[in-house]
Amino acid sequence: MRRVLLMAGLLVAATGVARAADPGADTDRVERGRYLARAADCAACHTSEGGTPYAGGHPIETPFGTVYGTNITPDDDYGIGDYSADDFHRALTEGELPDGTQLYPAMPYTDYHGISRADSDALYAYFMSLDPVHQQSTQTDLAWPFSMRWTLNAWNWLFAPDDSDDSDDSDDSTADRGRYLVDTLGHCGACHTPRNAFGAVESDHRLEGAVIGGYEAPALTPDALAGRGWTASDLTRFLRDGRSPQGSMYSEMYPVFHHSTRYLREDDLSAMTRALLGDDPPEPTPLAAKSSTMDGQGAQLYLDNCAGCHGSDGRGVAQVASAMPGNTTLRLDSPRNLVKVIHEGIEARSFGTFERVQAMPGFADDMDADQIAALATWLRQRWGGHDDTVDTAAVEDIIGASSD
Amino acid sequence: MSERDRIPSTPLHVTINGRRQPVEDVPNELMMLDYLHEYRNLTGTRYGCGIGLCRACTVIVDHEDGTSEERRTCITGAHFFEGKSIRTVEGHAERDEDGEIASLSEVQQQFLEHFSFQCSYCAPGFVNAATVLVERLQREPVAREALEDTISDALEDHLCRCTGYVRYYRAVRDAVLATPGTIKEG
Repeated sequence: MRRVLLMAGLLVAATGVARAADPGADTDRVERGRYLARAADCAACHTSEGGTPYAGGHPIETPFGTVYGTNITPDDDYGIGDYSADDFHRALTEGELPDGTQLYPAMPYTDYHGISRADSDALYAYFMSLDPVHQQSTQTDLAWPFSMRWTLNAWNWLFAPDDSDDSDDSDDSTADRGRYLVDTLGHCGACHTPRNAFGAVESDHRLEGAVIGGYEAPALTPDALAGRGWTASDLTRFLRDGRSPQGSMYSEMYPVFHHSTRYLREDDLSAMTRALLGDDPPEPTPLAAKSSTMDGQGAQLYLDNCAGCHGSDGRGVAQVASAMPGNTTLRLDSPRNLVKVIHEGIEARSFGTFERVQAMPGFADDMDADQIAALATWLRQRWGGHDDTVDTAAVEDIIGASSD
Repeated sequence: MSERDRIPSTPLHVTINGRRQPVEDVPNELMMLDYLHEYRNLTGTRYGCGIGLCRACTVIVDHEDGTSEERRTCITGAHFFEGKSIRTVEGHAERDEDGEIASLSEVQQQFLEHFSFQCSYCAPGFVNAATVLVERLQREPVAREALEDTISDALEDHLCRCTGYVRYYRAVRDAVLATPGTIKEG
């Protein structure tokens, strides 16, 4: 027994030595990898809520079933401990594991395809520098035929881009850097670009918005952003702080802020903003005048259920409740996110070091579809610049889909 | 004052602690807490955080089907309660003909016996929440071993900054156990 223990001890020591000699020893590269891992928001999928960073387990809902983020710590059994830098690069940019297994495209390898080899190596150095976590991630459970991974080869042939970028320089200019952060590392298109029936992003409709998990990932084209009143400085602030005059991050965008954008350097945030709004951003569309009054069902529903925090004038309370006039959720063409938020509420969130924002209650038990439609109509007309009506059937459609 | 300057108001019909209240015009944007304090002189319901977080302002809404629920009055407009029946902390004790307190409810008595509160600011919310819980358990009893979790789930949103919750927990547990029909076998 003692001999077994001794052997085990030697093995651990040997592994430790091997790791110390790995590229992880290069501190600068590790630090660069840490930054890139944040910019690429790896934690969003590879860290479960309350779990050890990068030890896997976060469920990703797809139309085809649930895919779980894997353990990407350097554990030999359950992680990437036995990956070479080449193996890592292939998994990252091609979605192919060393044993030939194809990853599901929930791993955004089609976006990461453009990650430079130098950045891939820095990411590799960073992940190999972590403490290995001996923990198996939850197995993915997809419906047939998607449970058959060989079908992914056909998918890749149809939809994955060719040829990785082997160049070493990823930041030639601000414009390139911005595109690299938005499209490649940040993989914004994974949610904000619509997908076809096979789950592949429609590259002809880059960042034109999509519905994912019942919420709308809004369009991020220059005209769409300006149409909702976004300026470059507000957008940079939103990415850095998670909040801006247009509102705060919620739903699936909050983890993007929490794990990724809040860590980005100011020059990178500006580059992202420039990549989104363009070099010459369109003038933000002013908010159209209110077309609803303080009378009627919608107004009274607002006063009874919302005004306690958001104020009867809609101005909100700093650190507590977002202001309503010009709020980006109210300005969206579709009432989807507004209806979802009223129905489900928003979890308590922290924004930066000094801001903790309490939960917004959901009103699923208090308001029926008629009432939500009346409230959403009134809010959009009062502070969203709209003059249309949200009908009950549309609300039923939205909340019905969310309660599946 | 001209018609234009009048605060938009609507008649409110509400029953409080079993009594139908006089109908009067109440501003459309008045919060229920202010209505209780300023119109009904029922000041036992507390204004705590003002953003629906601490639950000191909780009252009970009684539904026609015999169920009840908590409602935060600092963030809920008075007109939300139009046509509804509510209970506030003033409505729990039995009173004699002179209106003096004759006996406390089980929950109130247990809170006193366990020294559950100190400054008392949160107590009205706890009284109402614990009462809603005891009444729910009378309709839907739980197993004895599930009681601790049930109490935690029901009361964990209520904040108390003095006594550390343990005394509240023990008092609620004893109030539940002292109320017939709240615990089921096995």
